[in-house]
Amino acid sequence: MFPIAATLERLTADLTRDLSLFIPELILCGTIPFLLLLRLLFSTKTIPLAPVALAAVGTALVFALRTDLPTHGGTVTFGGMLLIDRFGLSVRVALLAYLLLAIPLGVLTKIPDREDAADFFTLMIGATIGLMLMTSARHLLMVFIAVEMASVPSYALAGFLKGRRPSSEAALKYVVFGAAASGTMLYGISLVAGTFGTGDMEEIAGQISYSRTQISLSAFAGVLLIFGGILFKLSAVPFHFWCPDVFTGAAAEVGAFLSVASKAASLALAARLIYYLGGTGVSHTNALAVLWAIIAGVTMTWGNLAAFGQTNVKRMLAYSTIAHAGLMMMTLTVFDYRAVPPLVYYIASYLCMNLGAFAVVAFVRNQTGSEELDTFDGLAKRSPVLALSMTVFMLSLLGLPPLAGFAAKFQVFAHLFENAHRYQHGEIGVFSWLYTGLLALAAINTALSAGYYLGVVRRMFLDTGEEAKAPLSVPFGGRVILSVLVGGVIALGGWWNPLTEQGIMAAKSFQHKSAKQKRLEMSQEQ
Amino acid sequence: MFEPSNLLLAVPALPLLGALLCVAFGSVKELRKWAHVPAVLCAALSCAAALTVVSNIGEADVHFPQDRTGEPISWFSVATATTKLSADFGLEADQLSGIMLIGITFIGTWIVVFSIGYMHGSPGYPRFFAAVSLFLASMTLLVLADNFLLMFAGWEGVGLCSYLLVGYWHDKPSAAAAARKAFLVTRLGDVGLLLGSFLLWQMAGRNSFNYQFIFEKAAEMVNAHPYLFPAACLLVFSGAVGKSAQFPLYVWLPDAMEGPTPVSALIHAATMVTAGVYLLARCAALFTLCPAVQATVAVIGAFTAILAAYIALTQNDLKRVLAYSTVSQLGFMFLALGCAGPVVPSFAVTAAVFHLFTHAFFKAVLFLSAGSVMHAMHDEIDMRLFSGLRKKLPVTHLAFLCGAAALAGLPLLSGFWSKDMILESALEAGESKRFGTLYYLLFGVAITTAAMTAFYTFRAYFRTFWGPLKMPEGAHPHETWVMNIPLLVLAIGALAVGIVAEPFTHWFSHFLGHAKTLVQADAGRVAEHHLNWPLMIGSGAVALLGIGVAWAMYAGNSQSADNLAKNLKTPYYASLNKLYVDEIYNVLIVQPFLMIAGFCKLCEAIVYDLVRLVAMVPRFLADLIRPLQNGLVQFYALSMAMGLAAIVGYLVLVAK
Repeated sequence: MFPIAATLERLTADLTRDLSLFIPELILCGTIPFLLLLRLLFSTKTIPLAPVALAAVGTALVFALRTDLPTHGGTVTFGGMLLIDRFGLSVRVALLAYLLLAIPLGVLTKIPDREDAADFFTLMIGATIGLMLMTSARHLLMVFIAVEMASVPSYALAGFLKGRRPSSEAALKYVVFGAAASGTMLYGISLVAGTFGTGDMEEIAGQISYSRTQISLSAFAGVLLIFGGILFKLSAVPFHFWCPDVFTGAAAEVGAFLSVASKAASLALAARLIYYLGGTGVSHTNALAVLWAIIAGVTMTWGNLAAFGQTNVKRMLAYSTIAHAGLMMMTLTVFDYRAVPPLVYYIASYLCMNLGAFAVVAFVRNQTGSEELDTFDGLAKRSPVLALSMTVFMLSLLGLPPLAGFAAKFQVFAHLFENAHRYQHGEIGVFSWLYTGLLALAAINTALSAGYYLGVVRRMFLDTGEEAKAPLSVPFGGRVILSVLVGGVIALGGWWNPLTEQGIMAAKSFQHKSAKQKRLEMSQEQ
Repeated sequence: MFEPSNLLLAVPALPLLGALLCVAFGSVKELRKWAHVPAVLCAALSCAAALTVVSNIGEADVHFPQDRTGEPISWFSVATATTKLSADFGLEADQLSGIMLIGITFIGTWIVVFSIGYMHGSPGYPRFFAAVSLFLASMTLLVLADNFLLMFAGWEGVGLCSYLLVGYWHDKPSAAAAARKAFLVTRLGDVGLLLGSFLLWQMAGRNSFNYQFIFEKAAEMVNAHPYLFPAACLLVFSGAVGKSAQFPLYVWLPDAMEGPTPVSALIHAATMVTAGVYLLARCAALFTLCPAVQATVAVIGAFTAILAAYIALTQNDLKRVLAYSTVSQLGFMFLALGCAGPVVPSFAVTAAVFHLFTHAFFKAVLFLSAGSVMHAMHDEIDMRLFSGLRKKLPVTHLAFLCGAAALAGLPLLSGFWSKDMILESALEAGESKRFGTLYYLLFGVAITTAAMTAFYTFRAYFRTFWGPLKMPEGAHPHETWVMNIPLLVLAIGALAVGIVAEPFTHWFSHFLGHAKTLVQADAGRVAEHHLNWPLMIGSGAVALLGIGVAWAMYAGNSQSADNLAKNLKTPYYASLNKLYVDEIYNVLIVQPFLMIAGFCKLCEAIVYDLVRLVAMVPRFLADLIRPLQNGLVQFYALSMAMGLAAIVGYLVLVAK
């Protein structure tokens, strides 16, 4: 658990290489004090902070894209704290790309005013560093630190609209829940680390698989408590209650951040944990898979049902987020590398469509001051640009071809279907039923979700409202962002392969490990 | 960059870029009237790229991606345990697509230039150029694709653009209806094409949609599936029937003249409607293996040719005359395609493609001249309202005359040479053992049609440009250089492209004969090139006869035409009313469909109420769970703790 001389030696020996793999995070880390200093030293009128932040994120993205990694497996860095592999990298790239779009959106919708722009960017970037660490954490301590690093700025972001009561309420609720979840998680970590004497997940997995079939009850409870913390970040039922309240209170831009970025990173973390655990081959993991599937199914259904009859767009989108989280969790019900391509695809598609939907909400709010669904009545007449892009995002969230949402959903469904097929004749035939059931539930859910997604489209195009309302204008930059997102949604829906191939590349980082795991198992048998 | 394979990608990519730029120009108010600039530039550059590619074809085909052995660029792929459905993005320029490319991009560029003048000041100016550019992109993709699926993407793309452009003046109910009709009628054929492609894919082993791959298995397939294979060919042909406006699906094309005239010239005469001809030429290796299918193709082609020519005899709308003549000429091309097999395929297919090529030039110039007349006559196109325009519109007159003479098949002009090749194919096919008599009959039909063609073309010419000067009110005849230059360029093409390319040098047929699909279809047979003097003299005489009759009836101020119409009432009105085909379709197809639709509506009302009942369920469930979100932190925390306890409890107690 604690560093010994050998660890320290290893740490110093590989430091240069480790730092070079860590450059994107380092750039972001440097940007935070730089932004704060800029505000202290110069008048913010003379130095616009957004371009600086954008440039930094862009540079980080370039470095992330140029990271040189082995095709199989990954590179263990910082004495075993982080694992930089292609899977983590693809999620990190998605997070940075998201930030690259979210910062200009924040500037355009004027959420940060001149005074607190530095705070806004700092919080966004800080949270992103935490999220990026979540994707590459390999040590339980790192997991906890990363989750906290991502959470604390999120709390502040939720309450960013100072002086608005709902905003403060949202922040407070978020903090209370977050603290409870962190406590749960930390308790779980201490149980696990106490049992195995280390926080290194690969080592823990090795120890568990060495014990073959059994794992002590306290350790397993600890694992579950860790998952509890992650489920909170994922807003899975029954840890989801914070989500609608926080989304309603916080600004739409923040809602987009919480719904897209933090879900992506949490899923990446969950995938890693599940993968380590699944590789051990102990019988408990089957029970965990069933549990995970049940939670995914309930979350999806709950989110879709509750989204019906909402009158506030952000609240509706919050429930839609819960439903999508459930769908993405479905991919991970199967513990193997094949889950990675659909997951990566879903994350990228979800990034485009959900950020787009929240962006439209933000633009409408800026001009009308309202986030109620009625505001969207007759939007097609008031602003064709907004209405059309919102339609694309809604249809994509619903999963209609040829949009990104369809491609992503299709791949998730295909993944489940294949697994249902594979387990049919295996030892655990019950899994076949489980997956088939989950698939059917997902299909029903898709039909359910049509109710409220298409409802928005209907409002925009068919319900004109009683009196004629003034047309809404969208700033030029806003048009650019919306076209980029709409283009992304359409491109991902029409041209699957580039991203699927990235996903397959990312999956290789797991394939290699499973071979290693097999060797370990074989050596035990001999 | 100057790698031919990269240029190949540029051919469809440039017009696509042009379309996007047009849209961008359209969204900025100041740039709106400059929206033609990107369209013209990209079309011209695409043409230059196409010419460079074609000059590089020579011995080997040009491919994109360049390396055939490497992994193809995958468009999408779905793999299951038993089959792999994959579509690759591959472009390939061989001699056949090369010739199509020249026609599309060269004529397309000049038509875009012409549109600058023609569309000047119309609402939605950028929309027009965006759609035309998109059309060029789709059409080039259609001919460059190296597999059925990618070709189908281009095929549907041109269908979409045709819909957008026919319905360009969407405020006009007739234009909107025409656009809908065009879209729906061609869709009937498209379904067949898609089914046919998938049948071929399945018979070829469910591996690839690639042309070459499927063609290589053609002989195998026809042995293994003696009935399914011809069925697949017929399905593919049905796609061509829809797109190329053949009987019985030709009814959309005359209505499509509601679109702006440059569109009629580009899409509904020179390029898109020839896609069906291209498709059958491309698949010659498949079609030659089924003689019965080939006979069907030839019969449908010849029947369409004479039917449309008969209707064209009496139409009063100048553009409609041209539209029916397009249908008729396309029928000629299908007749030639249908002769491949009995005749050496490369000869018959060359005849069809050669006619396609020359037709593109002279039909484009005819439509553009008609557009110029229409522009000058204040959007009036009824020939009864104007006459004697040759002095007022000298350039238009000259261009129309060139086009009309070429279409009529006046000796030495381009239409003459290509039509002659078709007639010769039909005549030669008559010597074959199977269906020999049929082909002789078709030859007779074709030569009759040729005479009718000459007659109705010159009837339109004399009525518009000769006789006493007459103009509708509000007309202010004028010509502008931006419209004249394309007219003259294309008119020269209409006159000369035939004699330069084929009759004495046989350059065209030698070039096209090297296309892989034709080499395969020939199966070792060699096409003989000779000048069939009796046939040439005969067809020349027939053309002159038609023109002479038209001259006698319409050039002066004689009453002979009216008298003839009075004496032959039944045939006259049958032709004027388009043989009542639209009415027959209405009774036989449209009305029953409306009845079915009414029944479906009734069913739907029932289902709708049922669905509403089902839809109540989620709402009801939602109302059940919504109160749980009561905003009380204590309750949330409690439920979270309970949830966690339940999860741990489940695993500890139950799942152990």
